[in-house]
Amino acid sequence: MQFHGTDKYYLNPELKEIVNIAMAMDKPLLVTGEAGTGKTQLAFQISRALDLTLEEARCKSTFKGEELCYVYDTVLRLNDSRFGTEESGRDVNNIWDYLNFGPIGRAFMSDERRVLLLDEIDKTDSDTQDNLLDVLEDGSFIIREINYKVKAKYMPVIVITSNAKRELSDPFLRRCYCHHIPFPDMEEMSRIVRLHYPEISAPLMDSALAIFYHLREQGFEKPPATAELLDWLGALQLDGVKPPLSPDTVPFLGTLLKRTQDLLHHKGVEREKP
Amino acid sequence: MFLPFFYQLRDQGIPVSLKYVLEFYQALKKGLAPDLDRLFLLMRLIFVKKVEHFDVFEQAFAAYFFGTEGAEGTRFSRQEWENTLFRRWLEEEIGKGSLPDDALERLSLSELLQRFWEVALEQRGEHQGGATWVGTGGTSHFGHSGGDQEGIRVYGDSLYGSALKVIEGRRYVDYTASATLRAENLRQVLAALKHMAPAGPPTELDVDETIDQSCRNGGEIELVFRRELKDRIELMVLLDNGGASMRPYLDLVKLVFGLMRDQFKDLDYYYFHNCIYGCVYSDPQRLTPYPIYQMLRRDPETRVIIIGDANMAPAELMLSDGAMDYFSKVRVPGRDWLWQVRNYFGHSVWLNPIPRNRWPQESQTIYQIGEIFPMEDLTLAGIRRSVEWLNTGAPPRKASRQIAALRQAQG
Repeated sequence: MQFHGTDKYYLNPELKEIVNIAMAMDKPLLVTGEAGTGKTQLAFQISRALDLTLEEARCKSTFKGEELCYVYDTVLRLNDSRFGTEESGRDVNNIWDYLNFGPIGRAFMSDERRVLLLDEIDKTDSDTQDNLLDVLEDGSFIIREINYKVKAKYMPVIVITSNAKRELSDPFLRRCYCHHIPFPDMEEMSRIVRLHYPEISAPLMDSALAIFYHLREQGFEKPPATAELLDWLGALQLDGVKPPLSPDTVPFLGTLLKRTQDLLHHKGVEREKP
Repeated sequence: MFLPFFYQLRDQGIPVSLKYVLEFYQALKKGLAPDLDRLFLLMRLIFVKKVEHFDVFEQAFAAYFFGTEGAEGTRFSRQEWENTLFRRWLEEEIGKGSLPDDALERLSLSELLQRFWEVALEQRGEHQGGATWVGTGGTSHFGHSGGDQEGIRVYGDSLYGSALKVIEGRRYVDYTASATLRAENLRQVLAALKHMAPAGPPTELDVDETIDQSCRNGGEIELVFRRELKDRIELMVLLDNGGASMRPYLDLVKLVFGLMRDQFKDLDYYYFHNCIYGCVYSDPQRLTPYPIYQMLRRDPETRVIIIGDANMAPAELMLSDGAMDYFSKVRVPGRDWLWQVRNYFGHSVWLNPIPRNRWPQESQTIYQIGEIFPMEDLTLAGIRRSVEWLNTGAPPRKASRQIAALRQAQG
């Protein structure tokens, strides 16, 4: 099974190899990188290109890890045992009726290989990550309540993303293949833009990209990223702005710079110029 | 064949375990490294887990496989490429007659590379003395005069050559532990600071307690909730924002400061000038005082980070009327105030924007303050160590001892 990217997603050849190596070695792939470098998209595209069902887990800081495998609905069972199940079809004596499987559980129990996305794993705390370690490594977890081991029939293609909000624990890193997606350079960026705006005129794109990368170099607190660039280009085209653009009077600056301080800083820079 | 390289990685500070090595050979068997570029990626995936090691790895890889001397800080030029092993091999092969003279015209670049790779894999390490992997001895340099040879680059249109391109780009140099700080890497380090405690409204079902209460209740369900564990860290930052001595470091400090503001909700900052006397100030203009006695009523578990260059006239630190402010009525030397803060807040650290190796030359007071507070510089490694210290309480090395060691090293 080889991953070659899709028509909606520009795939860096390096990243393509990495995905294929990780799949061949059955290792979780941890992708880090700035916002807007397509970390999460990667999993979606793998699932699309290889025609595998995607199981998606958006991590929250309250996650303990176990709920990604399964949740045992105690309250429902308590309720059923007290008030009866009536027509719900549940059997209060059968715990399986009260087990809900999370994305990891579903991916493991599926009869075909799936893609498993753990999005923004860094939002969880390190205990959660440690809990997930063995699960991901062995492809199995235990339902504690009945001491039943769920073993993956087919090891899913695991993609984990991290925004580096918190540092991941060493043991966790050890079990993953880690890749940091660098911010795309101008050439790659123009390909990405073309995927989204196939009709964009070359002069507009060139001058817009020049300004975009110029702004990125200014050391703003929140430098504009791909998503901002695409928004901005969308706005420019709707408004029919004609190139060349001048860096001193950027139209729709608010779509690129989001923080007040950055905006002020940018204007300040202009004023200092003779 | 690869073993010396693994040791080289270890020497460079990348932890390489036996498990990785086995994994690597497994991957080789699966044929995941049919060329140098894929080998590079495969090795990086298996051995390098932290982004701050990427650069070191790339340089070590270049040194070992491309035989580039002086790996640290070198940038690869095309010139160097043309002296690489591939070219040497090509020339040798043609010289030996195992490749026909017109091989360059007849075979495509990828075919040639593939052959090179096959040969290289067969060598199995019987070949070399030095640190490089394919033998380098003896062959003379060759120019790059011939027109058709000019066409042969290990750079290709396809994947070939991307390893070197990647290395050449040195995109990860910002993340090495000794690099100065940038927003991305700093955020990562600060994120490690945390402290869990039960907090917030009781929303988590306590199953054991619920069952217990329900039984006591004669089977009527009684749901019992408890409070969740939450990250409750209180952080206080004291910032030296006065004086010319801090000015060169302002940008750096601003960056650290701005990120701390992002990272923590419970964060207070105060300002001081050079050293602390009696109070700090809650505004950057230092007009609204916040007395130390008030500060010393806070939760002693509060994490305290002091950012300052610790560079002042010794009198300011030692004398009872040393305070810079002429009108200050405080008659206790700065050193005593610092000790009070230090003794009250167990988790405190002093971050010094002056690079560590300049501490001995910079000022005597760095040494003295380093006796009071654990001191780190504002590099990634320094901040990481301080965060570890603030989390666990394992103290970093005392600045005074670091300075002594540096003095010895610098003669």
